[in-house]
Amino acid sequence: MSARSVTTALVALLEREQAPLLARRFYGDGPASPITASLAQVPELLEVTLPFIAGALGPACLDERAKEIAILRTSALLGCRYCVQTHTAVALDSGLSGQEVRALRGDGEIEHVFADPRERVTIEWIDAVALGRGPVDPAITARASDLLEDHQLVELTLAVGATLMLNRYCSALELPTSAPTLERLAAEGLD
Amino acid sequence: MMSTIEEAVAAGKIGGRVWFYSNYHCNLQCSYCLTESAPLVKRRELGAQAIIERSREAENLGFTGFGVTGGEPFILDYMPELVADLGRRLPTVVLSNATLFNERRLREVEPLADLPVHIQISLDHPDPIENDEMRGPENFRKVVEAIPRLVERGIGVRIATTLEDPDAVDPEQQERLCELHRSLGVPDEDHVVRPIINRGRAKSNEIGVLAGFEQLEPELTLTADGAFYSPFAPTVRGGRLDTDLLVSRATAPVSAPAGALLRIADELPAGHDASIGIR
Repeated sequence: MSARSVTTALVALLEREQAPLLARRFYGDGPASPITASLAQVPELLEVTLPFIAGALGPACLDERAKEIAILRTSALLGCRYCVQTHTAVALDSGLSGQEVRALRGDGEIEHVFADPRERVTIEWIDAVALGRGPVDPAITARASDLLEDHQLVELTLAVGATLMLNRYCSALELPTSAPTLERLAAEGLD
Repeated sequence: MMSTIEEAVAAGKIGGRVWFYSNYHCNLQCSYCLTESAPLVKRRELGAQAIIERSREAENLGFTGFGVTGGEPFILDYMPELVADLGRRLPTVVLSNATLFNERRLREVEPLADLPVHIQISLDHPDPIENDEMRGPENFRKVVEAIPRLVERGIGVRIATTLEDPDAVDPEQQERLCELHRSLGVPDEDHVVRPIINRGRAKSNEIGVLAGFEQLEPELTLTADGAFYSPFAPTVRGGRLDTDLLVSRATAPVSAPAGALLRIADELPAGHDASIGIR
């Protein structure tokens, strides 16, 4: 993944003082994320999109580790600089090792790094959903159905789909990665 | 049974008037203009059809009046007919600089005389030089010529005086201004004095009083850029639209921004809007 430094987005990222009234509650105490600060341009979309993202990408039946595997892997496959950089840091915080993160980003063999068959089929499913066209290969579907419950497959697939949406959004609008995240990735050798 | 909007208007939670920013461009370039309006700025025209459609929906929702502002609304050829359409349904006020009322325009606005329509005209100073300093050359002369011609046709006229600090104005100057508008046929009850709001070009020029949403009355304001909290909200500075008082980008169906405005208003403390008296 390129460490190209992007400090400005294609659209204005609204600072707190320019945030529309109904968008302000999404700003929190610190600096708003570029996703929030760009979506604030259309406050009625911000109001529905952020709760959706939080629901789709946050832990539910699948734990945080599984969700971060889905997000980071999908983002790497789609080549989304912002999402890969941001979720590399989140994945490390979620307990994934540096070696696992590298493998998910395409730098290392998944089979050698992930020993758990359930996680391996999870990644196989993610790859098929993120990159495939039409239905998933029946052989992959069969392996996934053996190891994942229906509700887990639903949640995983939605996480991949939501990530795909965000990947295209963040890439097309050239959202900048925060300086602290870039510094951390550099320190971890993951820039 | 009252609608949600009717109840909110009756309870004073939101203003009953829906404002339409017909356009942002203007034949003048006033030093305190909220929208940086001028002859060559981006027009940002809402459009007659959009105004008619949204006004009909607003009427059905239970709003009680319409306002049209800009820019200069009467720069648009269709404005007299549009205002008549609005006025036939609900009381309507149109804000104008009154510099475009030539004979043809005067004939076109004559039907407004029979309707609950007021044209609110800006006049800031009883002396031409001081007035025109902020509003541009010949403004005073054109205004004092236009007002009696509108009045004699039976059209409702209000005068709006915008001052940097209404509390600090010279009483003698104020009295001369009142004598002037009375002489033009506009009574005291149709004269409003309000402060310059420190937004738009006034902010760039460092004049006017600060106004956040806590000081403004919630009044649904529809523009080409979206729905805003107040007619003082969709301001432009440095060519860029202010979004701090944006309610939603979508303006139709009107029920959507109206509902969003109500949600905002529900969170406001009572009496918040009276602090700088700019209703």
